[in-house]
Amino acid sequence: MAPVTTRRPSHGPPGDPVRDRVGHATESADPRIGRATESAEPQMPDPRGVRVSLAPGTRVDVPPLVLEPPQIPVAPAPRVAGLGFLAGAPPVRPAAPPAPSPARHVILNGQPATAELIPLDGVRATLARGGPAGTRHRVLILPRSPAHGADHGIVRREVVVGGWRVELEIEPAARAALRERARRGREEIGHSGPAEVHAIIPGVVLSVSVGAGDAVTAGQQLLVVEAMKMQNELRAPRDGTIERVAVGAGTTIEVGDLLLVIS
Amino acid sequence: MPSLRKDEAGGPPFRRVLVANRGEIAVRIIRACHELGMEAVAVYSDADAAAAHVRLADRAVRLGPAAPTESYLRIEAVVAAAIETGAQAIHPGYGFLAERAAFARAVEEAGLAFVGPPSASIDALGDKLHARRTAAAVGVEAVPGTLRPAPLERPDQVAAIVAEAAEIGFPLLVKAAAGGGGRGMRRVTTPAELPAALVAGSREAASAFGDGSVYLEREISPARHIEVQLLGDVDGRVVALGERDCSLQRRHQKLVEEAPAPGLTVEDRVHLHELAVRVASAAGLRNAATAEFLRSPDGAFYFLEVNTRLQVEHGVTELVTGLDIVREQLFLAAGRPLSPAALEAAARSATPSGHAIEVRLSAEDPARDFAPAPGRVTRWAMPSGPGVRVDTALEAGDRIPADYDNLIAKVMVHAGDRDAAIDRLRRALDEVEIAGIQTTLPFHRFVARDASFRAADLSTGWVGEHWDGPSDFRHAVETAQLAAGLEAMDAAVAAGGASAASVRVAPPATPGGGASADGRWARSGLEAAQDRWPR
Repeated sequence: MAPVTTRRPSHGPPGDPVRDRVGHATESADPRIGRATESAEPQMPDPRGVRVSLAPGTRVDVPPLVLEPPQIPVAPAPRVAGLGFLAGAPPVRPAAPPAPSPARHVILNGQPATAELIPLDGVRATLARGGPAGTRHRVLILPRSPAHGADHGIVRREVVVGGWRVELEIEPAARAALRERARRGREEIGHSGPAEVHAIIPGVVLSVSVGAGDAVTAGQQLLVVEAMKMQNELRAPRDGTIERVAVGAGTTIEVGDLLLVIS
Repeated sequence: MPSLRKDEAGGPPFRRVLVANRGEIAVRIIRACHELGMEAVAVYSDADAAAAHVRLADRAVRLGPAAPTESYLRIEAVVAAAIETGAQAIHPGYGFLAERAAFARAVEEAGLAFVGPPSASIDALGDKLHARRTAAAVGVEAVPGTLRPAPLERPDQVAAIVAEAAEIGFPLLVKAAAGGGGRGMRRVTTPAELPAALVAGSREAASAFGDGSVYLEREISPARHIEVQLLGDVDGRVVALGERDCSLQRRHQKLVEEAPAPGLTVEDRVHLHELAVRVASAAGLRNAATAEFLRSPDGAFYFLEVNTRLQVEHGVTELVTGLDIVREQLFLAAGRPLSPAALEAAARSATPSGHAIEVRLSAEDPARDFAPAPGRVTRWAMPSGPGVRVDTALEAGDRIPADYDNLIAKVMVHAGDRDAAIDRLRRALDEVEIAGIQTTLPFHRFVARDASFRAADLSTGWVGEHWDGPSDFRHAVETAQLAAGLEAMDAAVAAGGASAASVRVAPPATPGGGASADGRWARSGLEAAQDRWPR
């Protein structure tokens, strides 16, 4: 898999992808969780960005594609209570369908692109790419029943293009980026010395898989936290021995709470 | 069989015909029966109990479990079903029992008409070595090679075989006398490889056909595969209806066929058809058969073999000639002479008008060397409109059993000339919608757009030289990813109640505190979108 990149609007020129910073286990930029304990940078991927990956077991290896809406810088504005309009900005019409224009701007793998999906019916659509002079593809987009043990928030689609049947998994780019960051964080944090593992999301501890004195290896599951009806596995950031477990099953945790210590 | 001969002109050849096959060809034959006002009896395995050929037939008889050896290949069961249902004739279609002389003989001995060549012709021509000798006897040049089985059981003959091989020239092919579909075939590039290739080819042939006889044949490369459609009557008259080019193959299985073969002159056609008729006449051929030839780059035709049955690709000849070959077969099986329509088509065979192309849609993955890809079809839309014919037995919701052939549909187009036919093929294939299984459709769409195919630059190596399935698939994946991503984003926008233009950058999260108002707004939009997604 290619490294995942996410757009950070406050970083660099438009269209310049900024690689995820390798974070510590106590970092978070997940917009669904909505908080970061340590992050000094006030940016996060747009929540509507998506990452589209080939379903496991597909016959070729194609890197995931990250698709995001164009980043339009808007000065932070107070929210008008109850309406959700942005004062100082034009009011947003609720539930307005996206205007079908074959020249819609998106950010495709961090690069500006024009691409529009023009629905024809519930399944058929035309993918217009590269503006009026660009390419047109007829596609069929069909739902796929979720695979056994599917993650929450991952949508599965069977897309047929030019007779090719492609099985895809779609998830919010932010979520994918967080997962990727956590993975890389695990891989790259290898220092010695005790490491405190703090909660990066609020929730309830569902189970604790380790006890004090247990030897763990990087990536091993330590505990499971339920947050927003999703089960989140917390995995060991590096090899080591569990020095202390600060929570038990059923403990309600807030962001920043100490969960356990690895030495 | 004089009792089967009907002298009253115009009447149907039989009252009831049993169709000893499944899938699209069974449907094709049942349709011909119904057009002639005859009843059709279907046979089926447990896997096909609800299949299209069973639904279309007037009666249906179960043969046994799904495995072909327990159902469609059971000679006694098929003949018993015909007798039991009062069928007067059995049409074998292609594959299964179509080229088993023992089956034709059992049908003949039961007093029924076999819709195909007599068992003696099947026997004689099914042995490729016998066919090669027959051709040689009437002065038709076969692909250079040996005419007798390689004496594998005689170790002292090894030197003689190698000497023979050297005379034929390398690279050459070891082929099975009883072969078909590339089984028992080995390509040999140096004399040192020959003994091992002979043994391996013989062993494979013995297990596939029960006959381990192998022989040597020069590899003609590049070559075009061109075959001649033949019809013959009980009086021994054999005519050619025209030729087909079937050069686009993978692993000796045809993928695309067209009629007429492009680039042949009228003289070429007259010559080729005459060669085919000469071999078939010498073999006592009746009913329908196909003589296959290779054409070398210098334009010479080399006889390959005769298939004593209806071919998968018979439809392109039907489109060009306007003749219904299955209908002709039924009349010929009833002992009628060649029909005026058949004779007229034969008279025009060297000067065909119009052009027809067939692609074989199969449940195979063209990104993985056409590996079988069975499964359930969830969406199925076939093309129609001017000049388009689709022969299939499939519908949405059908499962493609892993027990049988992967062919799921034959898409044929017919137009005034080859260029127009290719345009029509491209248009027709764009109308095809199949989901749930991978098919060879991407390959066929590629063919319909390829410049060298349009230029009729054809050879049996074409697929390997032009088709890069994995690369084509990768491009499709990127397009599919973009389409699925846009769809998910559009769904999120619709669920979030905002237009795409209103999407804004989420503001900084407040460390330790709750998300800001805008953060919550963005979050609720995403959550709403996620709720809409199936899990």
